[in-house]
Amino acid sequence: MILHGKTVKKGQVEGEAIVSQLPFSYLGDLNPEKGTVAPKGHDLEGQSIAGKIFVFPTGKGSTVGPYVANMAKKLGNTPSGMICVDVEPVMAMVAIMNDIPMVHRLDQNPLEVISTGDYIKMDATRGVVEVINK
Amino acid sequence: MLLTDLQKRMYQGEYGPGFQKAIKMLIEYGEVWDADRLVNVHSAHTGLGGGDWLNEILEGVDQIRAVTTTHAGTVGSFQARKAMGVAENYLQGGEQVEKQMLDLCVPKGFIPASTCTPYLVGNLPTAGRVFSWPGSSGIIISNSIFGARGNRDAMPASMVSAITGLTPDMLLLKKECRYGEVLFKIEDLDMENLNEADYGAIGYYIGAVAETRNVVVEGIPQNVAFDKLKSFLTPQPVSGAVAMCHIVGVTPEAPTVEEALGHKKPEMTVKIGKKELKEGWESLHTAEKDEVQVVSFGCPQLGINEIGKIARLLEGKKIASGVKLVASTAEQVYTLAKRMGYVEIIENAGGIIVTGICIMGFPYGQLETPATTGATNSAKAASYQARSGTNIQYGSFEDCINAAIKGKWER
Repeated sequence: MILHGKTVKKGQVEGEAIVSQLPFSYLGDLNPEKGTVAPKGHDLEGQSIAGKIFVFPTGKGSTVGPYVANMAKKLGNTPSGMICVDVEPVMAMVAIMNDIPMVHRLDQNPLEVISTGDYIKMDATRGVVEVINK
Repeated sequence: MLLTDLQKRMYQGEYGPGFQKAIKMLIEYGEVWDADRLVNVHSAHTGLGGGDWLNEILEGVDQIRAVTTTHAGTVGSFQARKAMGVAENYLQGGEQVEKQMLDLCVPKGFIPASTCTPYLVGNLPTAGRVFSWPGSSGIIISNSIFGARGNRDAMPASMVSAITGLTPDMLLLKKECRYGEVLFKIEDLDMENLNEADYGAIGYYIGAVAETRNVVVEGIPQNVAFDKLKSFLTPQPVSGAVAMCHIVGVTPEAPTVEEALGHKKPEMTVKIGKKELKEGWESLHTAEKDEVQVVSFGCPQLGINEIGKIARLLEGKKIASGVKLVASTAEQVYTLAKRMGYVEIIENAGGIIVTGICIMGFPYGQLETPATTGATNSAKAASYQARSGTNIQYGSFEDCINAAIKGKWER
């Protein structure tokens, strides 16, 4: 399946998808030292997003998010790519500052058509996402 | 994007690598929302974090172009952490890091206010003016209460705006993007008599429902105190990502519900009553144990009236041994609090008042005697502190100070 969307941060990347249904904040929701999702009760509680294509609805929370992501990136603990339903400014800056290829506003809802474990080939420069179902 | 001659020269590197990197980031940022130009920033505010990135972005920058104050955590954190009882090994090097930050930034024109409440210390954008600030609470307050125009600029976005004096003309800078999208109607709640923690709990509930959308609220009394509005707005970008909240009859762009909504139908209308208030409270008051080791106030940093309230509640009382009560504010407000006699009262009761620091992520685990339980009247602090695993009681100034005196929470 091929999806088309809009560039947030240019770049090409491929990898395994990890999908959350919840808006995400790099401060509070990510453990930057481990690359895992921290809060109890989060739908990805304890799971790692490091090196994966992280699919989620949008950003939320503190504006320090891009700096937390920067710390995590130095430890290899950020996703290699990101896909949002509709990004907001803090999350866009996470991608721009930390050079994480990212797209949003796809022609289909990524939360419905992408599942954790699917293989994703993403050309964020052109806004093209190929989903290979597991 | 259409650039002016000056902006083109920045882009081509004529002003050095820092300006070039900064304007390139702003252009990338603006292109996400199809901004067609960059506009001048009248008020900037930013943090000095980011490690190596900060040095890179400031390379060759002699003077920043926007009037810029600095965010909490830039000056005074070392002293504050020491006063709060952070263990020696966690303090090491802190003083030097602060000195390095100041030496790097002050000559370039950053004003080291070290606050998350720039509007309390003279950096106050007025209606229609453009600001670029980090600090999700300052952003929603400036957009909503002051009618100034700014986006949810993250730390690095506000830094590149401070350097260049520019920001993309997009989203909340545009009148048509400022109208409310979700309407919340407060019913059956005695808003005149609800305390700041109740306002915080309602705000937390609203943020989770609204997510990134602009909010309109009906049912808040016109004479509501500024401090309660601060408690009400701050949690909305914690549970969600709200940056604009019109309050009908109170905020400048909401003389009527129709005007706040831009004469359109809201995407959804949500009733706020006792059930929603309770739900907000329950998501913040997550404690399983009654013990309270730390009581923290000042997320966002306290205004003079809030410090006065703490002082009145502590007058002639003693905080239980083993309990730390920390009140956080800006240096300028501290000076006033001292003159008012509030600092002396709080200190005589055994409390600590600190400046320059962010207490949202209170260093429970770094204290000489590490703590695991806390209480606060800040919905924002309660949410983040609980996510890092602390046992958190949420309640009003009265509830929290009672807990500080008794050493435990009374249900």
